[in-house]
Amino acid sequence: MDEVQIIFILIYLLTILLSATKIVPLSIAAMIGALLTAFFGLIPPYNVFSYAEAMGFINIRLIFLLLGVMIVVEVAERSGLFRFGALYAVKVSGGNPGVLFVSICVISAAVSVFLSDPTAMLLIAAAMATITKLLRYDPVPYFISAMIMINLGGTSTLIGSVSNMIIGLEAGISFTAFIGYLAICEIALWGITIFVLYMIFKSRLGEKKELPDYNPWESVEDKKLFYRSILILVLMVCLFLTLENLGVGPEAVALGCAVLALALSGSDPTEIFKKLDWETIFFIAGFMFVVGGLESTELLKDLSTQLFQTVGQSQLGATMSTLWFSGLASTAVSNIAIALTFSPIISGVSVLNSAAVWSALVLGTNLGGATTPLSGAVAMMAIGALKREGISVSFSEFTKVGLITSLIQLGFASFYLIVRFNLWV
Amino acid sequence: MGVNNLVKKWLESRDRKPESEYEEAKRKFEMAMGKPFITLSLEIPTGFEKFSNEFLKLEKDYQFHEEVKDLIKKHLLLDSRHKKGS
Repeated sequence: MDEVQIIFILIYLLTILLSATKIVPLSIAAMIGALLTAFFGLIPPYNVFSYAEAMGFINIRLIFLLLGVMIVVEVAERSGLFRFGALYAVKVSGGNPGVLFVSICVISAAVSVFLSDPTAMLLIAAAMATITKLLRYDPVPYFISAMIMINLGGTSTLIGSVSNMIIGLEAGISFTAFIGYLAICEIALWGITIFVLYMIFKSRLGEKKELPDYNPWESVEDKKLFYRSILILVLMVCLFLTLENLGVGPEAVALGCAVLALALSGSDPTEIFKKLDWETIFFIAGFMFVVGGLESTELLKDLSTQLFQTVGQSQLGATMSTLWFSGLASTAVSNIAIALTFSPIISGVSVLNSAAVWSALVLGTNLGGATTPLSGAVAMMAIGALKREGISVSFSEFTKVGLITSLIQLGFASFYLIVRFNLWV
Repeated sequence: MGVNNLVKKWLESRDRKPESEYEEAKRKFEMAMGKPFITLSLEIPTGFEKFSNEFLKLEKDYQFHEEVKDLIKKHLLLDSRHKKGS
């Protein structure tokens, strides 16, 4: 490892440290890293990359995809669509705690297919706080289970999480292929995870009680916007599925639908733009720049070569090490950072560059995010919401449930990948 | 401050969504599932400034809340009678 590589690896580690400890906000952490990368990369004596090369470090397709999806989903959220779903999920339970638990788990995972995890957690936590208070149930099982399901939801779609978008665009996996590789795994994981959570919390769910009489429809203030939001979401998914055959990238579909959503919503666009998750967008842009600098030093290529020598020609070894390493790393570090770091490493080696390994990276980065209170924003929010309701959950109580479910999910994912991609051969 | 408190404070600082957003989302669910409620923001009436301490205490005065509820009942009943009449 030469001097330049050491400097860039230190910048990378500093960025990871700052973002994992949150000494500064995520976006600032990544931009400090990007600034240091630009300084050492462009300024003599190092001159690792040119200004023109540096401009290519940020994948603008990814930024457009993120912005497009965020705008569409923000409009849908304003229509009350997701709140309606949560109210309906509570209503169908009929006050039976077991059914309520399962329906909350399902709706949590379902809304997070579209909503970002923190936004989904905010919505579900608000619903949970209200219903558990009304029925005098212990909120802890419902909050923790919803958090774990929100982390799991959307694993099998290109737009289900930010890490999926990063991996999908880097690997060139289409919307349809993404679902084809992972949908069965995600559905099975929903069932397994709900069963495990139910067994853990069965004794704490409470007794059957009468639900207050309410109509979820009354919560929808603007029915026209509600129907339009459904239409735009359905249209977006249909276009993702159909236009990829014509060579139209998902970012073009997302941006096109965003324009449609803005035009049909009747809302002030500046209000919608204000609500977008700029923290994540700046974090991704900054971190992409740091990884781009690291790539320029050939360090990631060296790492890919070393990995290739370690796993040899074994697809099984490459897939399992990617799954478990990215899964365990995501328990402590942002899964966006893990996806951005792993993607160029996997792209660099032909034996690694396979659907099985990319699928392993998708599963690893998604499944590790709800293991401990430190694993991600969604875990923080669940604990924060419980605290606002006057309930504190210990680190060990949270981690016990998070660790059990994460290990079971990663175990099942290993089995699935072996079977789905014939890795035992 | 102990290590536990420091860790707790640090964990809380990582919570990204502001409290106001959570409270607003919760309010919408409470309105839909529980009893609807309204929040009024009233200034002290002009000329009563010297009673500002007593005025502020009304926010947590149970007896006062009941009086306001009675006023709301009367208002709603009168309103509905008026609508039926017209």
